[in-house]
Amino acid sequence: MRFEDIFESIEVISHFKDGTMKPLRFRWNSRVYKIQQLNGHWVSHQGYTHQHHYSVISDSSDYFELLFDSSNFDWQIARVCLDG
Amino acid sequence: MQPQSMDLTKTIMHIDADAFFASVEQGFNPLLRHKPVIVGGTAEQRGVVHTASYQARARGIRTGMALMRAKTLCPEAVFLKGDYEHYRAVSQTFQQVYLQYTPQVEFTSLDDAYLDLSGAMHLYPSAQWVAKAIVDEVYHRTGVDLSIGIGSSKVIARIASGLNKPRGMVEVPPDTEQSFLNPLPADILPGIGRMAKERLTDLHIFTVGDLARLPRLVMEQLFGRNGVKIWEYARGIDHRQVKRKIIPRQISRETSFEEDTADMGIIRGTLQYLTERIGKKLREQDMVGQVVGIKIRYSDFKRHEGTRRLPNPSNDSGELFRMADTLFEQLRLRRVRIRHVGVSVMHIEPKNYQRSLFDSRGRQGALNSAVDDIRRRFGFMALLPAESLELKRKYRMEPHGYILHNPALTR
Repeated sequence: MRFEDIFESIEVISHFKDGTMKPLRFRWNSRVYKIQQLNGHWVSHQGYTHQHHYSVISDSSDYFELLFDSSNFDWQIARVCLDG
Repeated sequence: MQPQSMDLTKTIMHIDADAFFASVEQGFNPLLRHKPVIVGGTAEQRGVVHTASYQARARGIRTGMALMRAKTLCPEAVFLKGDYEHYRAVSQTFQQVYLQYTPQVEFTSLDDAYLDLSGAMHLYPSAQWVAKAIVDEVYHRTGVDLSIGIGSSKVIARIASGLNKPRGMVEVPPDTEQSFLNPLPADILPGIGRMAKERLTDLHIFTVGDLARLPRLVMEQLFGRNGVKIWEYARGIDHRQVKRKIIPRQISRETSFEEDTADMGIIRGTLQYLTERIGKKLREQDMVGQVVGIKIRYSDFKRHEGTRRLPNPSNDSGELFRMADTLFEQLRLRRVRIRHVGVSVMHIEPKNYQRSLFDSRGRQGALNSAVDDIRRRFGFMALLPAESLELKRKYRMEPHGYILHNPALTR
């Protein structure tokens, strides 16, 4: 098992409730992944900008780390887990 | 035997996260749970193990071991580069949880803290109740296990927290400190390293009890002032308070290069970048340092280190770098490629008084404040000294810093 840094922009459908944001689905490389499990969320600070990191498992049982940048409302795939 | 002048009313808790970096990775990624995880770099990279999960430790992996050796010992281990920003965010969650129980919290590192519950015990059923509540909440929020020691002083709490890892909780009731310490190996005491242990072994001193029975003078003769402190610890005597703000003895930043290099642009740029990070840290905490040190390791693993005192204590990155650069020029006498560099600032003190009547550094101070303001707003990389831009050729730039070869040190 190994992890690879990707940092590519993606499209995400998110759910906003009570001041929290939860990614539900995302499209990457023309494929739509449904988020099966949200493992955790943490925030890093780049100056006044907050970057929200989401550790998720997709319906294909793949691990992804998604990144939401609050300065430009951009979603990225930060990391993926490659089996093997 | 009752140790003299010990404050038995104190309730000190020491909390230590178990295999912190690896636990964070496992906590946030279920695919890694119950697997040997090694944080420090990929198996193909050079560098050393920063943290190994307990599953990896069971296979003989230790902190500081070369990654390639770790791969040989445990080929199926998952190797991770680490993400300092993630660990810092998790550490902030720890802080939020601890501060719910007492304002008297001393954070000694990202994963390690002392809590003084003495003034708050009337609010809770027991110290163990608080410990359990903290362990449960931290695990629920981050997936990281904690080990906790409870005692009447920092040294007792610290030793207790290390006895039953992982997810251990050891309480040493008042009046039982000496009987708790006596059977433990002497090197469990802070201040006893490998060399000191060998000297004690030569004297047939194996346990803390053996050491506590020695006359104080013997320990003073063997280890100087440090010996007296160790002797007191062996008797459960520790007058150190839990301080909300601590002054570090030194701040250091170091990194290995991806491949050995003789490229002076990269080496100087790295030194400047590391010094810049130290300067920022000093200014954030309103501290100054008096001594600058640098460390060089060559491709043949030979090491050179040097330190030099500044004319006046400083937190100005430019001044610190000029000293680091001078030291580098003096130390780099071999025509051999360099593998690893490090910068440190020592003799740190609060910046609280004027050293000279005619301090001409006001302008520089104002400039540093302006730089720090810009960085607070736009991230560390918003402004960089020109020489550190050389690193762009080698490393990925994030708003918070370069992703160096050894990212766990990208602070």
